[in-house]
Amino acid sequence: MTDTTVPDAGPTGRPLGRRVLPYAMLSPAVLVTLAIVFFPMVQTAWMSLHDYVLFRPNHFEFVGLDNFRKALADEVFWISLRHTAIWIGITIPAQVLLGLATALLLNQDFPWRPLARALIIIPWALPSVVIALMWVWIYDSNYGLMNDFLLRLGLIEQAVPWLARPDTALGAIILTLTWQGFPFFAVMILAGLQSIPRSYYEAAAIDGASTWRQFWHITLPGISGVLVTAILLRMIWVANSFDVIFVMTGGGPGYSTYTLPLYAFVKSRTNLDFGYGSALAVLFTLLLMVVVLVYLRRTGKAVSR
Amino acid sequence: MKMFRKFAVAASALTLMASLAHADSTVRFWYHFDNADNPMDELVAEFEKQNPGIKVEAENIPWNSYYDNLYTAIIGGNAPDAAMVKMFAQPRLVEMGALEPIGARIDAWDGKDGLEDNLLNLTKAADGETYYLPVQYVVLYLYYRQDMLDELGLKVPTTCDEFRDVAKALTRDTNGDGSPDVYGFGFRGGKGGHDHWASFTLSHEGVSLEEGLTSDAGIAGTQYVVDLFRQDGVFPPSAPNDGFQEILGAFKAGKTAMTIHHIGSANGIVEVLGDKVSAAPVPECGGGRWTSFGDESTAVLSSASDKDAAWKWISFLSSPVNNARFNEATGQLPVVKSDAESWSLHPQRFVKATVDSLPYAHLLPNVSQTSDFVNTVWPVNMQRALTGEITAQEMNEKIAELYAQ
Repeated sequence: MTDTTVPDAGPTGRPLGRRVLPYAMLSPAVLVTLAIVFFPMVQTAWMSLHDYVLFRPNHFEFVGLDNFRKALADEVFWISLRHTAIWIGITIPAQVLLGLATALLLNQDFPWRPLARALIIIPWALPSVVIALMWVWIYDSNYGLMNDFLLRLGLIEQAVPWLARPDTALGAIILTLTWQGFPFFAVMILAGLQSIPRSYYEAAAIDGASTWRQFWHITLPGISGVLVTAILLRMIWVANSFDVIFVMTGGGPGYSTYTLPLYAFVKSRTNLDFGYGSALAVLFTLLLMVVVLVYLRRTGKAVSR
Repeated sequence: MKMFRKFAVAASALTLMASLAHADSTVRFWYHFDNADNPMDELVAEFEKQNPGIKVEAENIPWNSYYDNLYTAIIGGNAPDAAMVKMFAQPRLVEMGALEPIGARIDAWDGKDGLEDNLLNLTKAADGETYYLPVQYVVLYLYYRQDMLDELGLKVPTTCDEFRDVAKALTRDTNGDGSPDVYGFGFRGGKGGHDHWASFTLSHEGVSLEEGLTSDAGIAGTQYVVDLFRQDGVFPPSAPNDGFQEILGAFKAGKTAMTIHHIGSANGIVEVLGDKVSAAPVPECGGGRWTSFGDESTAVLSSASDKDAAWKWISFLSSPVNNARFNEATGQLPVVKSDAESWSLHPQRFVKATVDSLPYAHLLPNVSQTSDFVNTVWPVNMQRALTGEITAQEMNEKIAELYAQ
């Protein structure tokens, strides 16, 4: 209540008020971030070092790295990790390619183009749970569209329970997520495409460059910045997202569609084993961080070249 | 400083006023009804009229995450004052210290003698205390399509051997496309399906979740289920993932000829299938019968602010007339004798199947592991066994491992 300090000039010559202002204005955002992101993160890390089962609230015992040791010896951890790798490794490239093709198409001149652009965003705009339920019906073995379609085409002889077979369940969900996520790439890439000056293509055409060479030497470098950012964002989202899996199969049949975030969720929320669940979450965060860093280093070099 | 003092005085005055205005107590009650159009509001209004000064805030929590929400709310210090609860959750809730013993209150309550016999014994905790007041119950039995059995000249199966033959005969390709479109039995391979498996496995002599599961008899039970799916093909191909909605939908649509569930779904099924459907106790397998006793009780939580008010509310729900009203919404059976005698909500054949099944009705072990068994260990391992990833023996070993902890 007494701090009515006189504004004095600091070493940089700027008045104190001016120097404090940015901090003062940023602090609400920083405080909120600290409270709802950073604090739970620290808490998760702290819990991962304890034996903490929610229905034994009085039993909170420090066990060091035991949970991590247990995870590395846990068969389900490795199954989930493998699925997470497949999950990211197929979904992202598939979304990028589909998004790229869509963006190139949408960049052409054709009637109703604005309408097509608006329609393409629909899968991205729908809530994940709605998408998941929709695709559960598409894959349904009794009434599903997918089976009906393939049966009529004569590609399969009898209905396949896509989500109930361990060899098809993960693939079926990956297809769903690819469908959901490709509009994001399409829109981002389209924005990148539109920032490439037309004159580049005209000059290349005069020099006799083929469409393919124009794509390789003008289009791709033109959108690389956008692509790197979009892939990075999407990679993190896809890696963390388990809502679609949770609604479609809940991880089943067996462990066939378990990914690490889902496993961590099931362990803590269903089995109430918060210690072990937190350890899984921490391990996954570290692994994802490594992947992101490697990706940024490699692409950073490639883009700045 | 003066300013601050003024503030403090004003604030405390406000708080005082608020608490005076709040002399009435509020009971926060959690329940789960599948049916969104339920009579809870009417029951609450009736109760509030009879008990001026008590306000009931009843909240319908989605079943799928009911216990996740309940446990986390208890830990988070935001638990309801009273809640609908099942037996499998009791050991955990007791371990958490979340339940208020209500044995003395029940003894002093004039509605006690009106309850169906034995229910209070069934819902007693392992420590001998009483925490639960029963509010409804069901027993699982076998639903079957009478018309399909008649068409093929078959009888209702009473043993596992007969069951297998009947299920095989009922699995048919009726439209001539080369693949079956009616399956003998709608098996629930997803969460909640342990009741189906248990009827074929825990019925074997000397087999329970806590012992004998890895014996020859125990493994034979699981193997029987796996064979029905993998060898005989009498379950729909989607069985490993199927949950309640799927098995019920398939049965109503005529995709399956038999399934196991309780009277709660009887009216919905009859609406679609009419007289074509009937019910009987589950078959005898391996020398005994085992079916699930589906319990539902209410409890007062130890954190309740006004325990007397919370008790008044839950005992209101298990009192004559109110209990019938409650069960009309859930489609289960009332625990109050007088309400059960005048019960006319279900066709008689389903009430009879329930009563006939009562002698074989069991509860899952009253221990903390049962939650994990129900939620993860059973579904995951059953699905793996059904899809051939593990053997029946490995599945039973996983369950035995859980209960040995």
